[in-house]
Amino acid sequence: MYRSIFYKEWLKIRWALALFLLLGLIVLGNIFLNVRYGVRFMDAHDYWYRIIIQGANYAASLKYIPLLAGLGLAIAQYFPEIVSQRIKLTFHLPIRENKVLLIQHGFGLVCLLAVFATYLLVFIIGSAVYFPPEIIHMMLTTILPWFLGGLAAYSLAALIMLEPLWLYRVLYAVIAYGFVTQFYIRVVPLAYTKVLWVFALMAVITVIVILFSGYRFRKGEMHHG
Amino acid sequence: MNSMYAIECNNLTHYYGKKLVYENLSFKVGEGKILGLLGKNGAGKSTTINIMNGFLHPTAGECLIYGENSQHLTPATKEKIGFLIEGHIQYAFMNVHQIEKFYSGCYSRWNSEPYWELLSKLQVTPTQKISRMSCGQRSQVALGLILAQDPQLLVLDDFSMGLDPGYRRLFIDYLREYAKANNKTVFVTSHIIQDMERLIDDVLIMDYNRILAQQPVEEFMEKFCQYEIVLENPDMEFPETDLAVNIEQINDKVSFYGYQDISAVKGFLSGQGIAIRSIEEKEMNLEDAFIGLTGMY
Repeated sequence: MYRSIFYKEWLKIRWALALFLLLGLIVLGNIFLNVRYGVRFMDAHDYWYRIIIQGANYAASLKYIPLLAGLGLAIAQYFPEIVSQRIKLTFHLPIRENKVLLIQHGFGLVCLLAVFATYLLVFIIGSAVYFPPEIIHMMLTTILPWFLGGLAAYSLAALIMLEPLWLYRVLYAVIAYGFVTQFYIRVVPLAYTKVLWVFALMAVITVIVILFSGYRFRKGEMHHG
Repeated sequence: MNSMYAIECNNLTHYYGKKLVYENLSFKVGEGKILGLLGKNGAGKSTTINIMNGFLHPTAGECLIYGENSQHLTPATKEKIGFLIEGHIQYAFMNVHQIEKFYSGCYSRWNSEPYWELLSKLQVTPTQKISRMSCGQRSQVALGLILAQDPQLLVLDDFSMGLDPGYRRLFIDYLREYAKANNKTVFVTSHIIQDMERLIDDVLIMDYNRILAQQPVEEFMEKFCQYEIVLENPDMEFPETDLAVNIEQINDKVSFYGYQDISAVKGFLSGQGIAIRSIEEKEMNLEDAFIGLTGMY
């Protein structure tokens, strides 16, 4: 049963995953081309000064890529389920309804994490060419909330898409917007260090909210709309 | 919990907001029976199907499937139910091989033979997605998947939608034979009533807010009668009576529908002093009887 569910989810999301993996790698490639240009062809001393003293973020163009990936993956995974209320087929499978939702959402989450891990790995390797570990650590602390925001956006988009009523969808979307923007407030590097665990906790909590939409769907809320 | 009924709905009441769909609806479907749920659009067929499949909480009452409340079916019971969603909805982003691979891992009794047998008659390529198939092809994929699942109870919501007449006939005959040979229970709705007559054992006819008939289809067809009365006076308005469940009048021709025999109707006419030229019992098929019972409007 699990393998079948993974298979179905994979069929839905594989192209979106490949697309966002590619997009992220292109953006990362662009980032390191710029860094290379800054270090080699401009004044390297000045470039380092801007990063270490002035807190310039050389990875800024990566900021919304995890968010886009999270949203894109949620659409790829859940849009086919809500067209013609196909989620009924999923709920009808011989497995508990909450369990099947968590399994398919968990699978999507693992795939998204794999894409994010690839981004981060490339980012670390690329950064190691030009910067010392201290700067890489500082940059990771700065960009990690963007990735956590991408995870939260993925789960919240799933909540919104599976919700049966448009009114609630709009309401959730407004709340989700306020919630997700917290991960992207512009702050200087290292300012996140002490609250990183709060962001992580916020992202983790959103994983289970999909169960609420599933419950409302099975209660038949769309028929009362 | 064991139950001799595959489906048992007790005192179902449902409202959409303040609009009553029905009140205290009760019916049972015995194992091995084929029941057809008939009703006009808006009579509550979809509401009933949604409650039965756990996609709608009724305002009151309960629906039991093999003794379990349909709102909380265990995986073991869900495995016993094959569900055809209205419009033959399936995972249209898959092709015929992918969908077979997916479902075969979900059901322990999976037998792909009837699925491939059905699909061998379709002009589809192995990589063609279901979303790119015609309505008729999609319906056969959905039906083939249910047969391969080998469920004990088949819930088929408007199964005939999009099927060509010939294939519809073929499927009905196949389904009846399959259900009877394997002691399957079938709960079926269709808006093409003439199909149902060949298929079902029992009929459940719903009207707005109530059940109009619930009995073996043969018994219903035997007891429910249509009399065509030709009046002497074409301007006369035929009177209302409890003897008829429905009366349709066009000029001097009156179609009188009810459960009375012809002598009771004649007695009513003479008692009321209604002069007639003729009265004749008309042969009806299930569709005629359905229209007679529920009215044309």
